[in-house]
Amino acid sequence: MPFLQRLCQLLYESRIGTAIRESDNAFPIIESIHVLGITLLVGTIAMLDLRMLGVTLRQVPVTRIARAVLPLTWSGFVVMFISGFLLFWSEAAKNYTNPAFRVKLVLLILAGINPLIFHTGVYRRAKEWELAAVAPWRARIAAIASLTLWSGIIVAGRAIAYFDRHS
Amino acid sequence: MHFLFAALGHSALGRYMQTSVWGFAVVEAIHLLAIAVLGGSVLIIDLRLLGVILRKETTRALSRDLGRLLLGSLAVLILTGITMVSEEALKCYYSPAFRWKMALLGASVLFYFTLHRRSLIQADQHALTIWSRITAIISMSLWLGVGVAGRAIGFL
Repeated sequence: MPFLQRLCQLLYESRIGTAIRESDNAFPIIESIHVLGITLLVGTIAMLDLRMLGVTLRQVPVTRIARAVLPLTWSGFVVMFISGFLLFWSEAAKNYTNPAFRVKLVLLILAGINPLIFHTGVYRRAKEWELAAVAPWRARIAAIASLTLWSGIIVAGRAIAYFDRHS
Repeated sequence: MHFLFAALGHSALGRYMQTSVWGFAVVEAIHLLAIAVLGGSVLIIDLRLLGVILRKETTRALSRDLGRLLLGSLAVLILTGITMVSEEALKCYYSPAFRWKMALLGASVLFYFTLHRRSLIQADQHALTIWSRITAIISMSLWLGVGVAGRAIGFL
């Protein structure tokens, strides 16, 4: 058995993993919190992305929107990450072989790399373009990547349960 | 009302949704994406009304732009919502969670177009009042309630 699969099996069989799985209400409650966290994360980062694409709030400087939404985005991320890990804990052995889960993890890594490139790249010179109605192409690509990746993460996340049911 | 739900369940859309394996999953994913956009716009408008973020921007300009996103995503939500209801129309009709959701949705939309709108207009003319803050909190609670009730449809 590969190392990662053994790790998943250990988590799955651990006391906490089993307790979440066997409780009547724990999973749906954590899942609802997970959905709320995702809404907070994606809803707020989407506003920054849509601003850079020139879809909304064109007259507000980009850095001002970033300062307003990023603390909310990070709060959403923390909620999503903790609740997501608890969900994974309770069904790790099943998730390991679930194709939707694997796709979701890859998309999450890409969604993490994207802002690293953005913040160390074109955003460092944001003072030069923050007033423009439409951001420069490097920023627009980051925005499109962010919207696409997070949409994919939501779709893949929703699909995890469907693969569980149909396999 | 019962007749409408029964008709929706027996429509071509309903029959397609009942037999398709991935139909519901796809429509639900779009519904979730639209929830994120609606949630984001509500949150930013109401946090501005609370005076927490973007204080330098006028509420009028913010709500004009974000209001379009809000109503656009609401349209997507209603269309995908009707599609999902068609899969199990009568079950929704009798579900208390679904009825709560529709009542809260009606209240949210009504509130948005009336008292909330008035607060947004007044917020630019006067300093933020206790009323504008209460409006923002009611608005966020109502929309959150719609989401929570929606989540409960699958459980109750």
